[in-house]
Amino acid sequence: MAREQTLADKISSSSVWRSVVRHGYPDTQRNQALIIASNVFLHIHPVKIKRYATKVTYTFCLGGLSFFMFLVLTGTGVLLMFYYIPAADQAYQSMKDIESSVTFGQMMRNMHRWSAQGMVIAVFLHMCRVFYTGSYKPPREFNWVVGILLLVVTFLLSFTGYLLPWDQLALWAITVGTEIGGAAPFVGEQVNLVLRGDFEIGQSALIRFYTLHVLFLPLVAAFLMAVHFWRIRKDGGISGPL
Amino acid sequence: MADITQQMPGRSPATAIDEAKRQKLLELVRGRALARPTDLAEDEVMVWPSLVVVEAVCATVFLLLLIAVSVLFSAPLTAQANPNQTPNPSKAPWYFLNLQELLLHMNAGVAGVIIPTLALGALAAIPYFDRSPLGVGILGTSAKGRKIAGFSAIFTTVVLIGMIVLDEASGRTQFGIGGFLRTQLGAPEFVWNQILPVGIIMATIAVLVVLVQVIFKPTRREMIIALFTAFVVTYIVLTISGTSFRGEGQDLVFPWQLPLEHH
Ligand code: HEM
Repeated sequence: MAREQTLADKISSSSVWRSVVRHGYPDTQRNQALIIASNVFLHIHPVKIKRYATKVTYTFCLGGLSFFMFLVLTGTGVLLMFYYIPAADQAYQSMKDIESSVTFGQMMRNMHRWSAQGMVIAVFLHMCRVFYTGSYKPPREFNWVVGILLLVVTFLLSFTGYLLPWDQLALWAITVGTEIGGAAPFVGEQVNLVLRGDFEIGQSALIRFYTLHVLFLPLVAAFLMAVHFWRIRKDGGISGPL
Repeated sequence: MADITQQMPGRSPATAIDEAKRQKLLELVRGRALARPTDLAEDEVMVWPSLVVVEAVCATVFLLLLIAVSVLFSAPLTAQANPNQTPNPSKAPWYFLNLQELLLHMNAGVAGVIIPTLALGALAAIPYFDRSPLGVGILGTSAKGRKIAGFSAIFTTVVLIGMIVLDEASGRTQFGIGGFLRTQLGAPEFVWNQILPVGIIMATIAVLVVLVQVIFKPTRREMIIALFTAFVVTYIVLTISGTSFRGEGQDLVFPWQLPLEHH
């Protein structure tokens, strides 16, 4: 017996709706396959996977959370960019303004700061999960190496962001940090000069860190993540017991 | 239905269509292959909804937590940067404080660049040393693997804390050995501040390897578990030491004795 058409049915079978979403509601296996395969964001996934791969106690969601934090950081980061001024004599004041006069400015900053810390922790723990489950073994060797690069980029993203508030904490943490790097044999001094653009941390260091932080490193991270996710699928989905 | 091909008159099993094709044909006859393009095997599930739901729940829970934390705690903003006023102690971001802690005990280039580079290189090389598929998908590979991880964690924690306290007590002179080499024998900097500390680290790792070898008779994977665990625990112990136990002049203090902004 045909059931009566609800408003939802009418909308979801209209030609406008169907021009956007080409399949019906995903309550049949066919539509469930189509929604994954035809959506550009969902098709990062295969249509079906091994049951163990959905167990939270296997991945602890750590890779997914690392990625999600990256998205949150991109969102809140773009909002912060509307107000932040990367000039040594204005940066600190613009931080103050974000905290006191921008609507939800303090909230944006807090979310950005805490997910940045969270991402460092999540990526590190994700590496531990992958290690202890032996998920780096062939055919996943290369994806492990891509992961190590992602770990380094995550550290660098966090490190370059640390300078931007231009307060005492920022200035001296980066001073100490770059001094550690500057101690490298043979190339240390040059590396430091390239990073700081000067002999001490000032305007040229700020603009370099800013550009690395908001543009270059996020692009590198996105590039590496694309490879990382692609390889997970090409290596046969996430690992599991034999 | 197992042996249709064999029962077909005039066809010997040798010329029968191969197994995969036979399955397909059978599916077609049963009307399954066409009707259900995504037929699931026993141990498979549809990504929508099974995985998408897990992801959505994880993301939502995390987002709620993040919002709660961001409402409750504000990101720090200290006084405006002042190049003429060096805080004591000056500290790197917390995830590099492990390197800063190492720095107290040896040459800066060794602690800050060479050791972390080697560590990253060793991490990246793991899959090229351990290629056996045994234990994939099982946390710690086996009960023995988990025991080895526990042993390595305890060994590393105890030895590291001991080494930090000992070196501090000897005035950061590599337990007095470096001090002796420098003042009594007039050894150059690279001997007591580079070769000696690296030697001490290598010797400690060697002790761990020998102990694990003798006690557990491990496979290669299990030995790598011991080493990786030692790396992770070292990272954590040195980070905690650098964050919570280093006060003015980077002297060893208790966390409650730290200057306020470093709590
Ligand atoms: C920004 C950093 C990273 C992101 C966003 C990320 C994301 C992911 C995601 C979403 C997965 C799917 C399974 C899961 O969630 O555990 C995964 C798997 C994997 N990741 Fe990462 N990852 C990152 C860093 C790393 C690091 C640091 C390593 C190791 C050094 C690594 C190695 C791997 C490997 C080998 C797999 C396959 C695991 C398996 O098959 O079980 N990733 N990653």
